[in-house]
Amino acid sequence: MTPRFLLSRLIDLAFVLFGVSIIVFLMIRMIPGDAVAIMLGANTEITPERIAELEARLGLNLPIYQQYANWIWGVLHGDFGTSIWTGRPVTSEIAANIWPTLELTFLSVLVGAGLSIPIGAFMASARGNIAEIAVRIGAIAGLTIPSFWLGIVAIFMVAKFAPGWSALGYVPFTEDPLGNLSRMVLPVIALSLPMLANLSRLVRSAMLDALGQDYIRTAKAKGATKRRIVYKHALRNALIPFITSVGVSAGYLLGGAIVIEQVFAIPGLGRLVLGAISERNYPLVQATILVLTGTFVIVNFLVDMLYAAIDPRVTR
Amino acid sequence: MVLKKLCVALMATSMMAGGAAAATLDIAIDSSPAGLDPHLITAFNSVLIVQDNIYEGLTAIDQGLAVVPGLASSWDVSEDGMTYTFKLREGVTFHDGSAMDADDVAASIRRVQSEEMASPLASRISPVKEVTIIDPLTIRFTLDAPFAPILSSLAGIAIVPAEMETDKDALQQTPDGTGPFQFSEWQPNGFISLTKFDGYRDADLPKLDEVRFEFVPEAATRQVGLGSGDYGILPGIDPATALQLKAQPNVTVQETRDLSYTLVGMNASREPFTDPRVRRALNMLLNRQDIIDGALFGAGVPGGPLSPALTEWALDTSEFSCYSTDVEGAKALLAEAGITTPLKLTMNVLPRQDTRDIAQIVQQQLAAGGIEVELINQEIGQFVQDWRNSNFDLFVSANGGSTDPDLYFYRTFFGGGSTNVFKYDDAEVNTLLDEGRNETDQAARKAIYDQLQTKLACEGPIAHLAYGTLSTAVNNDVSGFEIYPSGRLRSLINVTIDE
Repeated sequence: MTPRFLLSRLIDLAFVLFGVSIIVFLMIRMIPGDAVAIMLGANTEITPERIAELEARLGLNLPIYQQYANWIWGVLHGDFGTSIWTGRPVTSEIAANIWPTLELTFLSVLVGAGLSIPIGAFMASARGNIAEIAVRIGAIAGLTIPSFWLGIVAIFMVAKFAPGWSALGYVPFTEDPLGNLSRMVLPVIALSLPMLANLSRLVRSAMLDALGQDYIRTAKAKGATKRRIVYKHALRNALIPFITSVGVSAGYLLGGAIVIEQVFAIPGLGRLVLGAISERNYPLVQATILVLTGTFVIVNFLVDMLYAAIDPRVTR
Repeated sequence: MVLKKLCVALMATSMMAGGAAAATLDIAIDSSPAGLDPHLITAFNSVLIVQDNIYEGLTAIDQGLAVVPGLASSWDVSEDGMTYTFKLREGVTFHDGSAMDADDVAASIRRVQSEEMASPLASRISPVKEVTIIDPLTIRFTLDAPFAPILSSLAGIAIVPAEMETDKDALQQTPDGTGPFQFSEWQPNGFISLTKFDGYRDADLPKLDEVRFEFVPEAATRQVGLGSGDYGILPGIDPATALQLKAQPNVTVQETRDLSYTLVGMNASREPFTDPRVRRALNMLLNRQDIIDGALFGAGVPGGPLSPALTEWALDTSEFSCYSTDVEGAKALLAEAGITTPLKLTMNVLPRQDTRDIAQIVQQQLAAGGIEVELINQEIGQFVQDWRNSNFDLFVSANGGSTDPDLYFYRTFFGGGSTNVFKYDDAEVNTLLDEGRNETDQAARKAIYDQLQTKLACEGPIAHLAYGTLSTAVNNDVSGFEIYPSGRLRSLINVTIDE
């Protein structure tokens, strides 16, 4: 990996975040109904003075370019603004909500990526037999069933068959490890299933590709066992596209987490941003999207770096 | 096998954990509150959390909607109705430990009235001209004119510490009242936790150690969570959910007649609604019972300008000539007003399932009379903006009610009233509204509001449709909860959770 490659990727990263900051800033303001209207609601006694006072306090009376300039200047100095509804710094609100999302995403990647390797390897090595066909059909189902639907069905099943199971909400792992895990089981299954299905299919096709290569034939000729051929020789090479795919999928999981958090009442970043959009909580929306985008971009950046380390050809 | 064992262990542990947390009540509500300052909030979820739980007023409204003592143990009203002298309760302290006295009451009134605070509650106590502290536990309000709803109004004015008089920020995040529960934690997007106030004036109350208002936007999640015991109470559920929850064995649905109502609003400053005959004709085209059966699953009653829950005030709908569906009569009235049909109009719809369903039925009913309505399903921000700017022909919405006729009527129907987005201005109505708030003789006051209801029902800018059934679902482990027609959670103070 050359320093020049590293630098160019860092510059790309900065440009992406800058572009996102402008798009998010403008888009949230293009949605009809401003923060003041949402705060005051319909059928309440609203005086023009109260509206003007709120607009001035929130800085919404300034021209839009000035609002953006004020905000981005603050961001560059580490001040992401104040939540319109709670009056607290948005960074503290993001900090309070980031752990459930990170944990949910991390566990889902762990389950999705971790299980996909043996399942994919099995599908490749046992191609054509009934068990493999059943797993393949399962993988297609996993890809097509929406996570939120799976989540809703899961909580209804729990309510019906295990009514004492606390499956909703979030308890920090440090406070109550078992309580935390009992609440994480269903969301992680719902969120990781599409990833598991996708990656299993990818591992399967990469393995099949690898198993057709000359070096596998050589290994067979040298008398290597089937197990050794699959897991030692083929799998190792099949993992290169897999790593890239895990990185991209992890980013998409953040998006999926938004819906899953809503269904399972998990107070994470996804729910935070959804609530903030409906409340027109501009500073919170802007900062959360920036954090989510930043995480996505950084994960991809790290994957690129890893990929470049594995295969130096990409840096040329 | 290992996975199965793990699942069984997790379930067992979470069941045991559920049993241990006996004195914490979880209440699931659909969204976060918009600030907690009792003099600035307007969102219902904010009011639900702070009023009666964290804060108290001088007076309070009981389950039968009557005014009862709050922080004032008693009061005297002068014969001319111009002065009210309140005797404050002894031994009341704020959550910060300071004693509550007449200074705090005077500061709270000034705070609501101050222009700088721009409180939406200011109009409720606008006739209060002077506040005099007689002694630390006695305070006198002098009005500039008799104002009959003053005692009801004061139930909604929270008493805050005097040092908060000019502070616009602190109470939005960390409220400080005299109520049975004190603010503990606000996890944005997660929950608000209130804990038992140990210094509450009644040492035996509240019975709970903690109340957590969980913000759960997904309706299905709230419903499942109530059944599983994750949540103890779901306040203000819609009729369809109420029906489903009634079938659940471990849940009880408490019901009462709702103060709030659904309505069709008309823009009295836009043709053709400038003509009272058109407003009357629209009412005549409606079949309110069909709306209730079709959109509210039968959970509601037709009603006029005042909720039937206000038994002292509300007139029966038989008193309103335009409430019997009469399509031919409506057509004739439209023709008399010079309207040629089909008349094409638009109708903004509040984004709620019940109002969407109601809008479709209203659309169909109006079509029978030649009024073709295009429904505009709006996002809440757009709806509020158009509502505020009077940018509508018609709208379908749901409004919260008030405990005194004046509190609803004056701001809504007085020319230039603070929520008169209909731009309705009728000299006779304006006069009656002024008389109604100044009249202190109950019988005379009732006569005024009877007259107003009769006029507003058919010729006002609002076609009142239905007063729904307010339903709150309670897990059977929760005891002592009682539903209030105002939707407030005043009875939380008496709630216990069974072990």
